[in-house]
Amino acid sequence: MHETRHQFREALRDLERQTLGGLELVITQLDRALEAVSCQDVELAAMVVADDDRIDGRYLEVHQGILSLLARQAPVAGDLRVVAALLHIIRSVERMGDQCVNVAKLVPLSGHEQPKDAAILEALEQMGRLARVQVLGARDAFGARSSELAHGLARQDEEINRLNRSIFRRAVEIGDDAELREWAMFMVLVARCLERIGDNTVDIAEQTVFVITGLFRELSDASHPTENVSGR
Amino acid sequence: MTPTTNKEPMEMATAGSGPERDERLDRKPGVAERGTGHSITIRGLSAYYGDQHAVRGLDLDFRAGEVTAIIGPSGCGKSTMIRCLNRMHEEVPGARAEGRVLLDGLDLYAPEVDVTAVRRRIGMVFQKPNPFPTMSVFDNVAAGLRLTGTKGEDLRERVHRALRAVGLWNEVKHRLNRPGVGLSGGQQQRLCIARAIAVEPSVILMDEPCSALDPVATLKVEELIDELKDRYTIVIVTHNMQQAARVSNSTAYMLDGQLVEHAPTAEIFTNPRDHRTERYVTGKFG
Amino acid sequence: MSVTFTLSPVSSRRRRTDRAMWGVLLALTVLALIPLVLIVYYLLRKGLGAWSPSFFTTDPTGSFFGDPGGIRSAILGSLEIVALASIIAVPIGIGVALYLTEYGRGSWFAGSVRYFVDVMTGVPSIVFGLFVYIVLVTSHIGGNFAAWKGAVALALLMLPIVARSAEVALLLVPNGLREAALALGAPRWRMLLRVVLPTAAPGLLTGSLLAVARAMGETAPLLFTVTFALGATANLGQPMNTLPYMVFTDIQSPRAAIVQIAWGAGLTLVALVLILNLLARAIERRSHMA
Repeated sequence: MHETRHQFREALRDLERQTLGGLELVITQLDRALEAVSCQDVELAAMVVADDDRIDGRYLEVHQGILSLLARQAPVAGDLRVVAALLHIIRSVERMGDQCVNVAKLVPLSGHEQPKDAAILEALEQMGRLARVQVLGARDAFGARSSELAHGLARQDEEINRLNRSIFRRAVEIGDDAELREWAMFMVLVARCLERIGDNTVDIAEQTVFVITGLFRELSDASHPTENVSGR
Repeated sequence: MTPTTNKEPMEMATAGSGPERDERLDRKPGVAERGTGHSITIRGLSAYYGDQHAVRGLDLDFRAGEVTAIIGPSGCGKSTMIRCLNRMHEEVPGARAEGRVLLDGLDLYAPEVDVTAVRRRIGMVFQKPNPFPTMSVFDNVAAGLRLTGTKGEDLRERVHRALRAVGLWNEVKHRLNRPGVGLSGGQQQRLCIARAIAVEPSVILMDEPCSALDPVATLKVEELIDELKDRYTIVIVTHNMQQAARVSNSTAYMLDGQLVEHAPTAEIFTNPRDHRTERYVTGKFG
Repeated sequence: MSVTFTLSPVSSRRRRTDRAMWGVLLALTVLALIPLVLIVYYLLRKGLGAWSPSFFTTDPTGSFFGDPGGIRSAILGSLEIVALASIIAVPIGIGVALYLTEYGRGSWFAGSVRYFVDVMTGVPSIVFGLFVYIVLVTSHIGGNFAAWKGAVALALLMLPIVARSAEVALLLVPNGLREAALALGAPRWRMLLRVVLPTAAPGLLTGSLLAVARAMGETAPLLFTVTFALGATANLGQPMNTLPYMVFTDIQSPRAAIVQIAWGAGLTLVALVLILNLLARAIERRSHMA
């Protein structure tokens, strides 16, 4: 059966594809940034910084596309919620890209052939893996409009937060060692960037729930639910 | 005229006491609760054209001092329903209606009710502007007033007031005695609105009032509706969803002669509850 | 890749066929016009000579010899009888039309009324005259022959014409106007009186004038009902002179001067009918420009 408002639906689908595609760009950047950190690869880090332009460009494209769609098609109800959500999500994409750049910028600053702490490195690696899973999960949750996956993202983010706190504690522990101290501080900053990336994926999960239910709720894991019902 | 199920003609029914009333509508106090304004309550309204069942068992509330928009696809019964409110439906040969329509608690379909009295309290504006061609601008607006015996200075004052209320005064004050049909389409429609409000009805019904007008005239009429809603309860049937969204406080979606959903307008257009409403407003319908 | 269009010229054979068709239709039109032109020509040639001031101001003398007189009583008689017929037929005809359009829509009764009215438009006028003759004249109600009885016959003739044209005029009134009046709380009769009738008025008037013009020229109904009188009179209870009757009797006279009177009367009749038609047309045009 022929679809009504075909051009509108096509345009909306394209916008969603572009937005979620931005998440894949983020993953590429994240992978590279983390590798640059663990291998102290300054050239790779510079590439990450340069390639952020692509994510910024994607942001502008989607933003313009949304304005155009709002002006020309007057979306309502479910469609309107999707458009509003995409606007939030592409902002999150842009911010996540910026966090990857922040990580990359920390690489040359942390110096060459620095002595490293195994515990911190392992935690960072774990954080990186989880962040990657989170970003992919955000893409899947929104794409499938799945409330389960969205709540799952909120829960998993707790793990990233926990690792962040443990890296901080460890850095404090080894703070007496003059050689390791500076490096450890930079690693704390890297961890912070990864934690922020995790928060952004939770934002995307919240937008997913908003699109499904029409209600905006702040998500956190099941052990301390925050009832912050707004939007009605 | 098919007799109604109502045994006591003066039964006072509280607005909104029907089953399954959408609680989203109760959030703000309506004008009726503040002690002024007029509300209409429909209970079990069914309307027929011969054997064709155009409106089926409808329950609907129109709150005082608000604009309620009725949307729905062609043939869903919205025009039929609105015409049952001022009992114009029965003017069609072979047409009849059953059920109750309560204006401030009084059943308009009670057997002893005078139809012309109903229509003096519930005014109507039609899709195609229809000023009386043999009458001047003044006489057009005065037409309804003369029916109730108003004359002289009182008549003049009320006609002028009505013309001012619809924003036509400056455009016609120098040509009050010229034919009403000499105005532009948008002006004619505003003239018809002035004619309807000159008798100071309780409720104004509008059946697609802007369909025959250009965009500028449409906007003027929409602004007028916004100004009028403080004094009158307004029900507007429209097939233009954007107009319903701009103009109304609450919106009711009808399909196949039945009410699907009735909720505050902002919610119908951001988060409707019924999937059929969602399909219709997003254009997935059809 | 572009698509080129060529506009092929009209073939000369097509052109010839077009011209031939045009020629045939023109010839047929001229053929139809010939008798009309001839009628007008003859009327003018034979009747204009009879026209004079005294022609219109004196009554016929009725004498075979000497001054034949004028046609004053015939003109007055025609006007009086047709006026009375109109007073009867127009209100009733409009009333019938109002019933058919406003109250009887869809009912079988209204359908049969409309059918009978249609049939009546086709009844030969002499039948109306015969009917009135049998019912009113032979029964000696109010005397034998009388002008008012002729008026009744003419009214019967005019009635279906007025009713049908009035129905058309009423149907042309947009339904939106009726709805607007009803929605204001007007009772039905008031809506008809204040909105529908005034709006349909030009059409109603036009239809009535055409019926009057038709009645003016009818001879047969007057033959057995009014017969004839010489002098001008306002007494509708007696026989009266009429233009068609004058034409009918005078044209058979052996005396040439009297025959010319007949032609003059015929021309007068045509002129009156023409004036009425033009009046009806002018009213219609004015109502469209308003």
